[in-house]
Amino acid sequence: MLGQLIVSGLAVGACYSLLALAMVIIYKTSEVLNFAQGEMAMVSTFVAFALLESFHIPFLWAVCLTFLFALFLGVFVELVFLRTAKDPTVLGLIIITLGFEMILMGFAGWKWGPDQRSFPFPVSNIETYNFYGLVISRINFWTIIICLILMFILFLFFRYTKLGTAMRATQQNPLIARVMGIRTKRILSFTWAISSMIGAAAGMLVASLGVLDPNMMMDPLLKGFASAVLGGMTSLPGAAVGGAILGIIENIFGGYVSLAFKGVVAFAIIVVMLCIKPSGLLARHYVKKV
Amino acid sequence: MLNRALVFSGLLMLAILLVANVASAQQVRGVTDTEILVGQWGPQTGPAAAWGSVARGSGLLFKIINEEGGIHGRKIKYFLRDDAYQPAKTKAIGKEFIEQIGVFAVVSGVGVGPGMAVRDELMENKVIWVGPATGVYNWIQPFQKYLFAIFPLYDDEAYNLTGHLYEKLGFKKVAMFYQNDDYGKQGLMGVERYLKEKKIDVVAKVSAEVTDRDLSTHALKLKDSGAEAVVMWCMPTHAALILGETAKIGFKPQWATSCTLSDAPFMLQITKGLWAGMIHSNFTELPDSNLPLMVKYREWHKKLEPGERWGVFYHAGMMFAEPFVEGLRRAGKNLTTETFVTAMETLKDWKGTGPPVTFGPNERQGGKHLFYGKVRPDGSIERLTDWVRITK
Repeated sequence: MLGQLIVSGLAVGACYSLLALAMVIIYKTSEVLNFAQGEMAMVSTFVAFALLESFHIPFLWAVCLTFLFALFLGVFVELVFLRTAKDPTVLGLIIITLGFEMILMGFAGWKWGPDQRSFPFPVSNIETYNFYGLVISRINFWTIIICLILMFILFLFFRYTKLGTAMRATQQNPLIARVMGIRTKRILSFTWAISSMIGAAAGMLVASLGVLDPNMMMDPLLKGFASAVLGGMTSLPGAAVGGAILGIIENIFGGYVSLAFKGVVAFAIIVVMLCIKPSGLLARHYVKKV
Repeated sequence: MLNRALVFSGLLMLAILLVANVASAQQVRGVTDTEILVGQWGPQTGPAAAWGSVARGSGLLFKIINEEGGIHGRKIKYFLRDDAYQPAKTKAIGKEFIEQIGVFAVVSGVGVGPGMAVRDELMENKVIWVGPATGVYNWIQPFQKYLFAIFPLYDDEAYNLTGHLYEKLGFKKVAMFYQNDDYGKQGLMGVERYLKEKKIDVVAKVSAEVTDRDLSTHALKLKDSGAEAVVMWCMPTHAALILGETAKIGFKPQWATSCTLSDAPFMLQITKGLWAGMIHSNFTELPDSNLPLMVKYREWHKKLEPGERWGVFYHAGMMFAEPFVEGLRRAGKNLTTETFVTAMETLKDWKGTGPPVTFGPNERQGGKHLFYGKVRPDGSIERLTDWVRITK
């Protein structure tokens, strides 16, 4: 049972990792916790669903168009809601994301209705792979693989592309980055766009593992946030590792200790981490001289 | 002269006040010569939104009644409010119904938690409440004069469903997957009660919180129990998630569930076909039944609400409201809270499109019957039994 718990935990943890990555990318650049991340992912997933079901577009094309939509959604939020805020404090910006979350939730309810839907994913949710007695469903297997591929692409992007380097520079020191000729405002928009695209990927995977409805991202978003805190709010590898660890811990706790308290493990982890190592597992703890 | 005028106007004012007072004392809250005000909450958004069609279904029945001329010259004015399955919101809606709108009655209403948030306030204010859309003891214990329950009791439903699995189908190892609230727990109560009588235990009791989205551990626990059959008492989302998770690990027991999940076409769609083979109880005639009343409803549905999907829960909203409408008819032109209660107490094996309904001076659980069905791969129901009495 332990092996099975770990495998299932990894699959759901991979989705937490993606959401954590999406949150961390924005947090590193602007110190804003994007509470609309889940709903942005949900709306993008509904767009994918509409493309697949109403327009019968092939799956890969639908995913590409959804990423394009997510890109514009991210830029739209940054340009329209955050950049126009007058003398914004970080708290003010966080409240704006909360407001936008409500708007998106209401919009999804109005546009697509509250009913649950089955997201058409081209991998069977019944057929399984058997690795030395360890059963893993195809959908779980491919969820883990897709998440790993996306994380690898992100790593390559940040490490080897000009834009990725500019984003890292902006994240590290916006003032120096601006002095060096980087258009930091434009970079901020790109950050939101990439975060939104990663969120969309997470949303489509969450919907494939369960059902699609306007509330589907509430729980995963909170878990993604917990993963980011666990791994480190300023560390991209930390967010990825945090999600995997959280998924596994949750499952093992549910399997061997208490199912009833499985859902609150994530929040217990937040409290413990903030007390013991506030910077998270893989992030450095900066101390400012005053 | 002035004094006489003062005395006269004083007396006149007093007379007007007295008349107004008598008039207002005679007026029944939510009832005028032309209208009866009726309210209902229902989850139009949120995790239980699939059950939101219940409240919209009741609205269709009231529209039909109004189209047919109303009852004793009065039309029904219906107020539907979305509580998103959140008791705090239901509480606010209850206050609005009583204090602002002033409804005569509340009809149906999904959810034990939401219903319990307003039950006492409704009863203290003598607001009639007919047909809560859940089958728990909370509506009939303690006895509530103004509350008429129609939904069969979950405890008895689960008890009889387990009996069907045990006696008719021969499953001796039964597990339970339930929502961790009064709804799920009363289902568990019935399963345990039946198996206890057979001197065996439930092989696994696995619960989920309303907000849970990852049920992989729950599925492993069920598989680990070695159950031959699993009874589930949960929301549609959880039903889809647990079926998906158990299928992923190759666990395929005989599933059985409550009538709360009897919308087979919908469940089949959100479970990607895994719902086929499910055994469930039914609290109302099937929506495609040829019962004359059902045929009439379907025709009105096409005419008045063609955008709504004609499914079990939508129709259930009409079924829960039927005895209320019958009560209004029997109460006659002089409609007051008390005449309505007396009229409802005359219902004896009264049949609409749901179970036979019986109320009495000391009887507030009107629905006591169910029948069982098995879901075919195309979403239709193979009827396994006729109406079975489940509550003694």
